[in-house]
Amino acid sequence: MLKYGAALMSKSLRFMQHGMVTAVTLPFDLDTAIQCWLHVRLAMLKHMPAEFTRDEWAYIVSFLSKESLLDPFARSFGARLLEGDAEVSTYIARPVSGVAVWLPNNVSLLGPLMLILLSLTGTRVRMKAGSRATDLTGTFLDFVMRYCPEGSFRTYLNNKVYHSVFGHEDPRNSEMASEARVRIVFGSDEAVAEIDGLAHPPGSQCFAFGDHRSEAWIESGCWNKSTVNDLVKVFSIYGQAGCTSPSRVILINGLYDEALSLRDTILRAWPTIVKRDPPPHLASANVCACQVDRALGWEAERVERNHGVVSVGNFTLRADPALMNLRIVPATIHDAVANLPENIQTVGHALANSEDKRWLALVARSKVLRFVPLRNMHFFGSVWDGNQFWAGIFEYVQFSL
Amino acid sequence: MSSLLYNPPFAKRDQEQFLRELTELTHFQLEGCEEYRRMWPAWKCAVEVSQFPYIHVGAFKQIALRTVSETIKTGRVLRSSATTSGVSSRIVLDPKSSELQSRSSAAILADYIGCQQRPLVVLDSAIGLRAIGGLSARIAAAMSLRPLASDVMFLLRDSNDPNSMKWENIQRILDQEDELLVYGFTYMLWLAWAKNEIPERVRDILKAKRIIFVHSGGWKKLEAIKVSREELDTMLLATGGQGSKVIDFYGLVEQVGIVYPMCEHGYRHVPLWADILVRDSITLELLMNEPGQLQLVNTISWGAPYHNVLTEDLARIVPGKCQCGRHGKRFELLGRIPNVEIRGCANV
Repeated sequence: MLKYGAALMSKSLRFMQHGMVTAVTLPFDLDTAIQCWLHVRLAMLKHMPAEFTRDEWAYIVSFLSKESLLDPFARSFGARLLEGDAEVSTYIARPVSGVAVWLPNNVSLLGPLMLILLSLTGTRVRMKAGSRATDLTGTFLDFVMRYCPEGSFRTYLNNKVYHSVFGHEDPRNSEMASEARVRIVFGSDEAVAEIDGLAHPPGSQCFAFGDHRSEAWIESGCWNKSTVNDLVKVFSIYGQAGCTSPSRVILINGLYDEALSLRDTILRAWPTIVKRDPPPHLASANVCACQVDRALGWEAERVERNHGVVSVGNFTLRADPALMNLRIVPATIHDAVANLPENIQTVGHALANSEDKRWLALVARSKVLRFVPLRNMHFFGSVWDGNQFWAGIFEYVQFSL
Repeated sequence: MSSLLYNPPFAKRDQEQFLRELTELTHFQLEGCEEYRRMWPAWKCAVEVSQFPYIHVGAFKQIALRTVSETIKTGRVLRSSATTSGVSSRIVLDPKSSELQSRSSAAILADYIGCQQRPLVVLDSAIGLRAIGGLSARIAAAMSLRPLASDVMFLLRDSNDPNSMKWENIQRILDQEDELLVYGFTYMLWLAWAKNEIPERVRDILKAKRIIFVHSGGWKKLEAIKVSREELDTMLLATGGQGSKVIDFYGLVEQVGIVYPMCEHGYRHVPLWADILVRDSITLELLMNEPGQLQLVNTISWGAPYHNVLTEDLARIVPGKCQCGRHGKRFELLGRIPNVEIRGCANV
C-alpha cells in the first residue's frame, strides 16, 4: 500500500473571498487527502463492487476529479492563496466537532457522495443508512478503506468516519442527534420532522433535505435531437424517484400538437439512448402506467421494449405517481409558474435565450431552488436545495491581530 | 351470458364459441366503460385471444373501473388483500356476474373435490361478511365454496388471530358429519390449523373424518418462514382421516369466479369459459413453454372490464396433455415478477 505523507500535520489553508481571508484548519493535509481520493479513483477504474450499477460507479468516478474535490472549498471560502501570499487571515474556519447524517432508503449515490464531501471537512462523521435498501455507503466505505493509502487521511477515515445501517426506531438515532453539532437529514418530510424532533444540542444546526420535485422547461421551438437526448438521459436514470429528475416537462408557450411531436421524438430517441432492457417488474409497471394515464385523459404511449411512458396532457389531469412516466404539458410561462409544485427544487431548462433577464426575475420571484441547463439537472455544487450545507460544517472564528 | 358455463369445465374446448363470447363481452365493456375505451382507443376487433384489449392488474388499484349499462346493476366492492403494495384492488360486483362467477367456481372446484355437499369450515371471522359495501378477498375466496357446502361456519373470533379458533363449535359439526371442507388463506391454514394446538378431543374426532382442505392466497408468507408445500400438506393431512386431501387454488379478485386448483400432477387447468396467455414482460410477445407474465381472460365478468387482466404473476404454459385427464391449456405458476429495488433521487 502506498504511503502519502506518513506524518501529515495539521495544516492551515488560506482562501480569499470578497477581500476576506479565511484560514481553514483540517486534521490532515488537503492536497494529500485529495491524492488519496485520486488513488481510490484509480482503483475504481479497475474494480467495481457488485452492489453498484455501472452508471452509479461511473458517476462517483467522475465526481472524484481534483476539480470537483476542491470545488466546495472555492465556493465556500473563495480563491486559494499561495504559500507566501502576505494577506492576513480575518477568520479561521474549523470543522465542527461532529456531523450526523441520515440517508434515505431510496437514494443510491447520496451516501457515497456525502462521504466524499464530508471527508474533506475533517470532521467526525456518523452516517446512518436506511434499513430497507442496499447499503451502498457501507460498500463504498469498505472499498475506500481497501484502497486508500496509509497516512493521516486514512487514519482520519478509520477513526472518525462511522457508518451503520439501522431502522428508524433504533435508539442510535437519538444518540446521533444528541451528540452532533450538525445534523443532515435526507428523506420524506415526515422522516425529516421525526429526526428534527429528537433531542439535540442547543444551537446545533440541521440541514434538512425533504421531498422535492423538479421540472424541465423547454421553450417552444427550442428543442432538437440534442435537447431530447439530454432530457432522456436525465430522466431515465431515476425517473420520478429522483428529486432532481424532471417529474414533468413544461413546453413553454408550446401548442398541444408540438407537445405530441416532442413526445414522439422522445419515444424514438429513448431506446437508442438507454440500450439495456428494463427489469421485468419495471416493464410491467410501465404497461400499467400507460393504461392509467390514458384512462385519466393523457395521451400516453409506451417506449419500445417498455422502457418508459411518455404522455401529453394538461395541468388539470390527475397525474398518479409512476416511476418511468414522463409527462409533457404545453403551457404559457404564467401557467408554468402558477403550477409549480410547492416543493419545487430544480428547473432544468432548454430556452431560446437563458440569459434573458426575465428568467432571472421569474426565478427570483418563485420557489425554484435551482435553474440550470437541462443536462445539468443532476449536478450539484456545494449548495443543495438552497442550503450552503458544506460551509455550514465549519464554525468561524474571528481572528484579527 | 356465457353458454360455455353449461358444459363441464375441462371438456374439449369450443374456441370459436369462446371468441364469440369474448368479442361480445369486450364490445359491451368498451361501450360501457369510458376509462377502458380510453386505454385502447384504436381497438376494433380481434381474431385471436391475444389481440383482445387487456387491463394491467395494477390499474384496478388506481382507478375505480365500472361498466355502465341498463343491464348492469353494480353492488358491493371486492377488495384484494393488499399484502404486497399496501393498496387494494377494487372490483365492483354486480348480481349478473356474481351468479355466473358463483356457478363457475362451483363447477371448477367440484371437478377437484366432488359435488356432494358437506359442512364448510372457514378459517376467518364472519365479521367480514357483514361489512357494508365491501368484501375482502379472503371472504370472497371462501364463498366460492359456498355452493358445495351444506352449512358454513366461521371458526376465527378474530380474522387476524390464528389463536382465536372456536374449536368447541367444530366439535358440534363433527358429531354429525363424516366429511368436512376446510377453507383458509394458505398462511392462516398453517398457523391456525397445522401448527395450532388442537384440543385432544377434537383431534381424536378429526382423525376419523375425511377432511378436504382448500387454500388460496399464495405462499409469500410461508416462504418467508421457510414452510414448504410438502410440509404444509403433511401437517394438514396428519390431522384428518383416510381420504383427506389438500387443494391449493390460485385466483385473483380481478378474476373472481375463475379459480385454478392445482391438479394431482402439479398443474393448473383452464376452464372452457376462460383462457390464459403468457407474455414476455419487455416485448409483450406471447410465450409458450417459457416463463412470462400471466394474462387471465374470462367471459363471465360484466360489471367492469376485469374479464381480461395482465397479472404480475409469472407462469409457464405447459404443452401436451395432462395425466390427470383434464382437457385444455395447463400451466404452472412460478410466483411473482421479481421486484427490484428502486433507487432514486439524484441529489448529488
